[in-house]
Amino acid sequence: MASYYDVDAILTDSHKLPCKFMLTVPGLGYIDGNVGEDMKQGTQVELPLWLGEVMAVSAVGTQLIELDLPDALSTRIMNALQADAKTVDIRALAPHFYTLAARILELFDEKGMVEILDEVLKVPKRAAEIADQAHNPRGALGEGAEFLRGLDETERQLFRVAHDSAKAVRTWMTELKKA
Amino acid sequence: MALPLPPGLTPSEVAFLCEMELVTVIPRQRLEGLELLGGPTPALQPPHRTTLPLWLALLLKRQRRANISPPPWLLPTSLTAILEFETEHSKDAFSPPPPLPPTSSTTAPVSPPFLPSSTASAPADALPYHWLEMGNLLLEVAPDDFEEPDQVRRLLRDLREVRMAKVRKGVEVLDAGGGVKMNGVGGMEVAEGRAFIGGVIDGLRRIGASREQARKESEAEERENGYAGNASDDDDDMDL
Repeated sequence: MASYYDVDAILTDSHKLPCKFMLTVPGLGYIDGNVGEDMKQGTQVELPLWLGEVMAVSAVGTQLIELDLPDALSTRIMNALQADAKTVDIRALAPHFYTLAARILELFDEKGMVEILDEVLKVPKRAAEIADQAHNPRGALGEGAEFLRGLDETERQLFRVAHDSAKAVRTWMTELKKA
Repeated sequence: MALPLPPGLTPSEVAFLCEMELVTVIPRQRLEGLELLGGPTPALQPPHRTTLPLWLALLLKRQRRANISPPPWLLPTSLTAILEFETEHSKDAFSPPPPLPPTSSTTAPVSPPFLPSSTASAPADALPYHWLEMGNLLLEVAPDDFEEPDQVRRLLRDLREVRMAKVRKGVEVLDAGGGVKMNGVGGMEVAEGRAFIGGVIDGLRRIGASREQARKESEAEERENGYAGNASDDDDDMDL
């Protein structure tokens, strides 16, 4: 599991999630920009994942807020990923797309199943493209640049390790020649 | 968290391990047997071929005290045949590794580097575990012992390209619990692919973690119900 000090995990937790207040909370209006007012029942606000999770799970009696799927994991995006995984700019949707998806899937039980299946299909398709780009010395400059810009942090790390290991083998071969 | 090196071996470490492999040398000078930590080496008598560990053979070669006879699978004809097998006959799988010797109950099963997979008596039609390292090291240190070093070099590079493409293609069929058939993949190729493939699997595992959790829970529930509860019972439990 991710380390407590993992910066990526912390940034994932700060991703905004659409939430709906199920109760009227006195004095909480400042979250929605109405300082001094009450938070009305049924108000839609965007809360960070860590806050929304705590408020949705730690319900006393009635549920305090209701979580919704973030835009990045909406049905529309899932359909787009299903149609062609390589063209979706997931970095623009969420810089930590995969870690976010993993966290969301922990929270949303029944909806999760469909998405998981989607994700499992999507990752390898993109991963194969990442591997190809990483081994292509001109990949980061030429035609691959557009695709690489759309990678999220997890995919960038994959690109980096794939590129580094290929480079290490090449370095070893050239150093052999010098020695 | 902040380990200086990634898991697995670096290319130079893999090459270091490869130097334990035995190769056939044709000595040009007399040398008594040496009592080394790794065991005694045979005495070198100029016209007679002997097998030495690669590191010693490379040392003697650099000092012009011996010639290394390249293993049979490193000849252009064998490499061409293997390359053709890789590209024409098995487009998805790697060419098989050299066969293991028949194991008997009296001796412990042996594996490289204790198999003579790179000596003159090695099988010519299969690439051993350390094929890429062995080929490159020999081509660098002893190019004059090959008849056509440039052609061997080109064939090795082609083979590497073909096989790395296969490793990458294997990524496409990965899933969280699945695997890629790695039979016949060499040490250097494992070292090169490890970080990426491991990363992909880890990403898939994280995505699939909640499903895994749900599956475990339902299994535990089934065990508690003693497999007697039918589907509708399970639904009732979920509602609670």
